[in-house]
Amino acid sequence: MASVPSPTPGGYSVTPTEPAAQGGAVTAERPPLPVKLVIAGGFGVGKTTAVGSISEIEPLTTEAAITEVAAGVDDLSHTPTKTTTTVAMDFGCITIDPTLKLYLFGTPGQDRFGFMWDDLVEGAVGGLVIVDSRRLDDCYAAVDYFEHRGIPFAVALNAFDGTVEHSLDEVRWALDMADQVPVVVFDARERGSVRDALLTVLELALSRTEG
Amino acid sequence: MADGHAPAGAHGFTGPDGTPVGPAPAVRPFLVTAGRVAGTASGRPIPVETQMVATTAGIDALERLSFEQHDIVAACRRPQSLAEIAARLRLHLNVVRVLAEDLRADGQLSVHVPRTDIVRDASVLRRVIDGLRAIPDSRGVLRDSD
Ligand SMILES: Nc1nc2c(ncn2[C@@H]2O[C@H](COP(=O)(O)OP(=O)(O)OP(=O)(O)O)[C@@H](O)[C@H]2O)c(=O)[nH]1
Ligand SMILES: [Mg+2]
Repeated sequence: MASVPSPTPGGYSVTPTEPAAQGGAVTAERPPLPVKLVIAGGFGVGKTTAVGSISEIEPLTTEAAITEVAAGVDDLSHTPTKTTTTVAMDFGCITIDPTLKLYLFGTPGQDRFGFMWDDLVEGAVGGLVIVDSRRLDDCYAAVDYFEHRGIPFAVALNAFDGTVEHSLDEVRWALDMADQVPVVVFDARERGSVRDALLTVLELALSRTEG
Repeated sequence: MADGHAPAGAHGFTGPDGTPVGPAPAVRPFLVTAGRVAGTASGRPIPVETQMVATTAGIDALERLSFEQHDIVAACRRPQSLAEIAARLRLHLNVVRVLAEDLRADGQLSVHVPRTDIVRDASVLRRVIDGLRAIPDSRGVLRDSD
């Protein structure tokens, strides 16, 4: 991927407010640096539950626009049909310290459509793809997306009913994933479990900065 | 744009005395932005985690601002992310993007777009990791450090 120039030190490219002479002074409170992690997966796999288990606020929902690329191809132009859809995405956050805040964004469920979450995912440090072990196929779209975008991600196998129907190796094989992609078993309702899955993603992201 | 109403521009929804004109805010989320889409200098929409905080000029101007702009500035007395504002005010993300850009241009809101290269900033990632490790699970157990 192309490297992005960093315009200013200190974590922000601040879009400046008008000079004091025109607009008045800026209030003192400096916002925290936001770090974004995206939680993806098929319908009903536990994305919202996972956000809610660890967020310090009740998960919030907002409407976002995504560009959906239809599976079929327009016969005349041979270009994929794109439509902009408004979807609900939910999110929560964890204050690390007054200067640093982790945001968790849950993408809407998706299955057979291509999709472009670039608006949402741009700048994310990593992704967690939640998989219902009974419906492995549903996560292809998300796995594919993160692989293509080169975003570090891990797969969290949600053990509904406490059992996982496939071994981690079977999952890796079924999803045709690279060996470097971590696969963990987790319970979206358990804060410690969600924490550890997020740590897996962040440690992978960290190892990439060192590699 | 194609909504059949006369385009009023970004600030066209208050009368000379500040009285709002036009339909109620709940039914005109897209109308307030007159079809514009805000973006960064690079042309990308500002990210959902972008932090916004009211300026003192914005707080001073509160009573002169129209519904959505008023609510955004009021909600940003403390720093908030774009996504939080949209969710709490029940506005579409793109509406908040456009209004925030207007408020920023008027000096009423300070908009902090995060650098995109923090994803490769090891010290930031380490701080997040350490912070997360300090979160106990629901039984109060910390993660084994390794
Ligand atoms: N047994 C069990 N149930 C879970 C678990 N995670 C989620 N659920 C339940 O599964 C259902 C769906 O979970 P959600 O968190 O809403 O799933 P989602 O991925 O956000 O769903 P969509 O947003 O509709 O795609 C809810 O009824 C949850 O209570 C889990 O780990 N174990
Ligand atoms: Mg959900």
